[in-house]
Amino acid sequence: MTWEHFIYFAVGSVVLWAVGAWAAWKDRPSVAYTTTVLGLLVFFSFILSMWISLERPPLRTMGETRLWYSFFLPLAGLIVYSRWKYKWILSFSTILALVFICVNLFKPEIHSKTLMPALQSPWFAPHVIVYMFAYAVLGAATVMALYLLIFKKGTVTSEEFDITDNLVYVGLAFMTFGMLFGALWAKEAWGHYWSWDPKETWAAITWLTYLIYIHYRLLPKHNARLALWGLLVAFILLQMCWWGINYLPSAQGSSVHTYS
Amino acid sequence: MWTKPWTMKEGFLIGGGMIVAGLALELSVGSVDWDAFAWPVNGIVLGGFLMLIAVIWLLRKKFYGCQFLGTYNAAIPTMVYAVVLTIIMGLTRQQEHGSWLNNMLSFWPFVLIYVMMAVILGQVVIRRLTQLTSWKRDIPFLLNHLGLFLAMTTATLGNADMQRLKMITSQGEPEWRALTQEGAIKEMPLAIELKQFIMETYDDGSPKRFASDIQILTKSGKNIQTTVDVNKPAEVEGWKIYQYGYDTQMGVKSRISILELVSDPWLPLVYTGIYMMLGGALCMFVLGERRKRV
Repeated sequence: MTWEHFIYFAVGSVVLWAVGAWAAWKDRPSVAYTTTVLGLLVFFSFILSMWISLERPPLRTMGETRLWYSFFLPLAGLIVYSRWKYKWILSFSTILALVFICVNLFKPEIHSKTLMPALQSPWFAPHVIVYMFAYAVLGAATVMALYLLIFKKGTVTSEEFDITDNLVYVGLAFMTFGMLFGALWAKEAWGHYWSWDPKETWAAITWLTYLIYIHYRLLPKHNARLALWGLLVAFILLQMCWWGINYLPSAQGSSVHTYS
Repeated sequence: MWTKPWTMKEGFLIGGGMIVAGLALELSVGSVDWDAFAWPVNGIVLGGFLMLIAVIWLLRKKFYGCQFLGTYNAAIPTMVYAVVLTIIMGLTRQQEHGSWLNNMLSFWPFVLIYVMMAVILGQVVIRRLTQLTSWKRDIPFLLNHLGLFLAMTTATLGNADMQRLKMITSQGEPEWRALTQEGAIKEMPLAIELKQFIMETYDDGSPKRFASDIQILTKSGKNIQTTVDVNKPAEVEGWKIYQYGYDTQMGVKSRISILELVSDPWLPLVYTGIYMMLGGALCMFVLGERRKRV
């Protein structure tokens, strides 16, 4: 399986996810579950066959991590849907997944077979996969915050806020896993668990910013809109950590996290 | 302002006070000299720090300021300052011998804000321990907060005791000297002889594997044959031995291998903190639904 076959799997998955999103709007949860799961299976079978044909987990290049991100977005959407029954969530996750799929279709980047020794570790897959899942869930929280800030008329209900908070809690939990798995791996690979490498510095920034949101929301008297704006800022900082530092002058040549 | 109960305004002012105090220290005594914290100084400082946290806790009824340190209104501004300073760190090129913003880890305002964060963590941990209500809430809370406290303080204070040395091993010659980061030669309690340096490449020539077959002899008389790979260090008597480099001119035929030897006596404490935080994150995910406010 190669990158050329991606379009068939992508179209198949997106169609299935779109049907799922439509079914969720029409209050037909069983159809929504079935088609979304089928779409995930189709998409994952592509990831799996890439894994086999590359003879390494497809986690190294930005294009490969986007592949996981596109997979986790509908999965996160499905989990949220099953837990809290929000009709709109599957539409959002499908659209977001579609965006990342399109990026990969039009700018796939080179997917060579080689995996340098520094990345050959049992920590590699869990570290990146857990982070991608966290980013997907926090992406959903950001969409929710945007919706509440810009499109929603009237005040935010406590139920709507609970959705946002729950998404942040789940996302932050996975982000903590990703960060600490990274620390344990770094000890095995580089001799130290935390070196304030630019990627690590920005991971700490992102992690702390979501912690601020959580604590601020626990404050009895707080400004709801400010909290939501905080979530948007947190997601921008997350982008910096994810790919922004590749373009940051202060990080050039000093990060051990640049592989491709 | 300053009428009880204090709000985040006071929190931001106190944090700002820490920054100003940090700037004053930076100007008067220069940046933080972390090397000075080598054992036993770091042990004493940790003991003193724990006592400070206990004293603040005990004085909470007498001085409102001490009580305030255990509130969200103190915690949130401190985290905001920490984030802002860390963002500046992320945007500025960091240099080991830099000063002020170019060496944030030794910049007093940065250090003091993180110290304050640890003090606040200390306060909330003690309070929770004295007011346990339900395990479902208390265990995740303690794992998260105490875990972070432990990992932060022991990683920072223990750093001065961490030794990282490079040893250049050659085939057929046991080596017991290693180079410190400053370039000084240090005699090690173990000798390493390179049996064989291993380098494999992919078809396109990019590296696939770097490893060293080595024999380790320790002062205590142990004789160990092992292979050290990138990502698979060996461990002998508190030293982790990493594959670090080789003779790049010779490539596959390199007859030397550079190993890195790392000792970090505080690691078990830091790892306890990290594992607690992992447990806390697991709780947050499993039990994680945010409690409904009344």
